Parts: sequence; C-alpha cells; structure tokens
Amino acid sequence: MKKAISITSLNYSYPDGTKALDDVNIEVEQGEKIVIMGPNGAGKTTLFLHLNGIIRSDDGNVKIFGSSIGDMKVEDRIKEVGVVFAEPDDQLFMSTVYDDVAFGPLNMGLSEEEVGRRVKKALATVGLEGFEERVPHHMSFGQKKKAALAAVLSMEPRVLILDEPTANLDPKSKADLIRVINDLNRNEGVTTVIAMHDVNALADLADRVYVLNRTIVAEGTPRDIFSDPVLVKENNLDAPDLFKFFKIMRCFGADCSQTPMSIDESVTVMTKMIESLEGELYLTVDENTHSLVNEIIASYRH
Amino acid sequence: MKYPEIDKYAELDSVIHRFDPRAKIITFTLLIFSFVFIENLGVAFLTLLFSFFILLLSKIPLGFMFDRMKPGLIFVFPFLVIMPFAVEGNVLFSIYGLNITYEGVYYGILVFVRAATSIMFALTMLGTTKMDVTMKSLYSLKVPAPLVQTLMFSYRYVFVFIDEFISMWTAMTSKGFKLKANKHSLSVVGNIVGMLLVRSCERAERVHHSMSSKGYTGESRTIVKFKMQMTDYCLVAFLVGIALIFKMYEMSLL
Repeated sequence: MKKAISITSLNYSYPDGTKALDDVNIEVEQGEKIVIMGPNGAGKTTLFLHLNGIIRSDDGNVKIFGSSIGDMKVEDRIKEVGVVFAEPDDQLFMSTVYDDVAFGPLNMGLSEEEVGRRVKKALATVGLEGFEERVPHHMSFGQKKKAALAAVLSMEPRVLILDEPTANLDPKSKADLIRVINDLNRNEGVTTVIAMHDVNALADLADRVYVLNRTIVAEGTPRDIFSDPVLVKENNLDAPDLFKFFKIMRCFGADCSQTPMSIDESVTVMTKMIESLEGELYLTVDENTHSLVNEIIASYRH
Repeated sequence: MKYPEIDKYAELDSVIHRFDPRAKIITFTLLIFSFVFIENLGVAFLTLLFSFFILLLSKIPLGFMFDRMKPGLIFVFPFLVIMPFAVEGNVLFSIYGLNITYEGVYYGILVFVRAATSIMFALTMLGTTKMDVTMKSLYSLKVPAPLVQTLMFSYRYVFVFIDEFISMWTAMTSKGFKLKANKHSLSVVGNIVGMLLVRSCERAERVHHSMSSKGYTGESRTIVKFKMQMTDYCLVAFLVGIALIFKMYEMSLL
C-alpha cells in the first residue's frame, strides 16, 4: 500500500513563540480512515494547515503520496489534499452555492464543462441537488456544512481532511455526513483524516486514532486508545458511552470477548455472548461488583 | 434586525429583470451620471418621475424599495434643511434673523431630487439582478478584480456580521443590559463594536485559509455566460435616447 501522508519530525511555533507542534510524526496509508483527537488547543487545526501547504514547512517534513507538499504547485496541491474547516461560513465565501463549489475546480484551470460536471457530482454526493443558486445565508447550518464539503469534493482530492465535521449538527445531519464520508472512503478510496471530539461517532469514522497534544501522545485502534483510561483522562478526552457500558457489564459477570465500540459491534458481541451460553445471559452481583463499577466510572471521570 | 437584502425580488420577471446585466449596469450608470448634472428643477422632477416609471416597470414592491431608499435619503436630507439658509440670494423670509433664500430652497430641493433619482435608479438596477450576477457582470466589464471581490465579500459577510451582532446583543440583554443615554452604555456599545472588529479580523484570516486551500492566488476566475439579445440593444437605445432628450430639453430651457 502507498503512503498517503507521511509527516516526520514536524515542529511549528506561533509568531509569539508558543510551541504549537512538537516533533509530530504521522504515517497514513492510502484508503485509511484516521481520526485525530486531542484537547482544545492541541494543534489539530495547525497540523491541518500544514497538510495542505497553507503553512509551509521548509524541511519537507510533510509528504503527500511521496511528494513534499511545500514543493507542489498550487494546482497539484489542491488535487491531492482537500481540507474542510470547522466553520462553514468561513468556507462559503461566494454569493451562491454553485460559485462556491466551482471555486476550486476553476482555480485548477479546468474547462467550464468539467467544472459543471464536478459541481453537479459534488452536490449530488452530499445530497444538495437543486441548491446551485441558493445563497449561503439562507441555508441551515447542516446544509452549509454539506455545501462546504461539496466545495472541497469538487476538487476530487485523494486525501480529505475534515476539522470537526459533526460538531453542532443535529443527529440526522450528523448521520448523513458520516455516511457521505464513509461512502467516499469505501467507494472512491479517499483517505480521510478527521479531527473530532465526538467519541460516540468516532468508531464509524476511524480505522486508527492519533492522540495529539502538541506532539503525538498515542496511536492505535479506537479500542486501544479508549482502553487506556489514564491516557483518555490526561488528554481531556472521554470514551464512548457504549464502550464504558460494556466494561461495566463485565463487572456484573458478562463474558464479552471484546468491548464493542459501536451499536453494530455491540449486537455482534451480545449475540456471541448469549449463543455461547446456550441462549441465556447471566449477570450477577457480588460483594465486589459495585466497587469494580465505581472504579471503572472513576477511571474515566474528569 | 432586517437583513440588507437588496436582491430579494431579483427573481421576478419584468423587462428590467430580463435586461442583460452588463448593459443594465452601463446604461443605468449613464442615466445616473446624466441626471445628477441636471440644473433645472423642473427637468430634475421629470427625471425623478422617469426613474419612478422604471421602478414601476421592474415590478419591485414599492414599500420594499422605499424602505431601502430611506438611509440614502436621510443622508441627503440635511442639504434640504441647511441650503435654504446657507445659499445667498433673494430672501424669501427670515426666521429669528436667519434668511431663507429662493436660491437656497431651489438648490436644496434640486440636490434632494437628484439624489432621490440616482438612488432609485441604482436600487432598481441592483434590485432586479441577483447579486452574484451583478458581480459577474462587473468582472466581465473589466472592473478591477480587487474592487469586485471587496464588494462581493462585503455583501456576503454583512449577513454573518449582523448575525454575530445579534447574538452578542442577545447575550448582553439576557444579562440585563439596557441601552441608555449614558457613559456606561456608550462604553458597552464601544466594546461590542471592538469585539466585532476583532472577530471580523479572525474570520478574514480563516476565510483566506479556506480560499488558499482551494487554490486561490489572488486571481479571480469565474464562469460568465451572458449574451446580448435584440431587446437588450433596443432597451439600451431607448434609455440612452431618454437621457439625451432630457439633456437637450434642459439645454433648450437655458
């Protein structure tokens, strides 16, 4: 498999001297789904600005498909990496949705026909067909988020970076957006890198997780990361409710082989558990149960 | 607070709406410049009547248009009040030793009528074309890109700016703040304005990041699909003809 992103020893300080990134190392394979977690001010947005070359690192520490992002021409850079920032109003700066979605392809120097095709496809992908002539200030927050995503998808980048894509969205819009991101990853092989705090939605969007707190503190599968309550607490994070619930179930004697991260996984785990006990589920309470439960709750509590 | 949406009725169908936007900008600008130099009050009233006729042709609701005209008219209203006292000439009558002159009243009304005509034309022009189309027309008329982009971003972000102001104002009133004519209120309003400026600067930086990440390098690229029809040429000829007739009529009166 090709390396989609390779970051080696990336350092960055703000103009006032505050260290924002300290020796950051990240490797992402093509087609992987990566989530970057970390406390507020951990440097996630600064890292993303490096990934599409807005902040340039002179030492060639950031490579996209083997090429240093700093050495790429603008047209090539935006073909490789697309960034969807957190605030949609910052990204919908043109007068209509069509102009916003066409902005990137026009800067790539594509023909009018190709720009039109891409705009149509991008809007269809996010479910905003018919919104071409809409003006951003007449749209809901969820629609603006989708339009901001379409404005990046129209550049057809191989790596898609999203900063807090699910923040402030209602459950339906959140589910829609997660589905779009996963479809892009599954059907078109787009590598996704997502910064998010929404741990309950994380399992659907992550093959691997990096915990960033100015430097990379930990890396692993979501289960690896959330199984370490000290790591979770030290970095102002939380584990998914379902994950904690199944850990508590163990205190009541449930014999689950692995702690599920999502509803789908929990159905599988429960089915296996009940089948192994010939169609029944035994839960018990003994003198240690409540102290074990309290221990688990306390281990994740801030 | 109302949004300053000037193109709310740009989707209507009228002869002014169908007018090619580039031709509309050029002819309406020509009409405005031609009418603001009219010296005769009677002719100026005729131009005002003509601009009202064009407004009626556009089918834009009059209430909406007069509402949008108000700020501009309030701005020129002081001329109507001050000029009768400030311009020397034949004294009509005196109030507490202050002379009101015929010339002052004449020029005060003339300035006000000219301004009302120009504002009505400008708003009819902007109100009958969607703002994005107006911007594209300006691009195709080779208006400098930085100027068009400044206009475009101003119009796009004025709504965000108003939303931010409303949310800050709501936060303040929910904490018991009441606007009064005192030093404290002035200081609080000053803080709000300062905060809005800081937020605008931060937003400008984020918007720039977003534009750069889509390949923006300062050059503006846009898709423009305009085509002049025979009706557009006829309308241009009619409006330019009207401007000439008014000018010639005024000259015949001199």
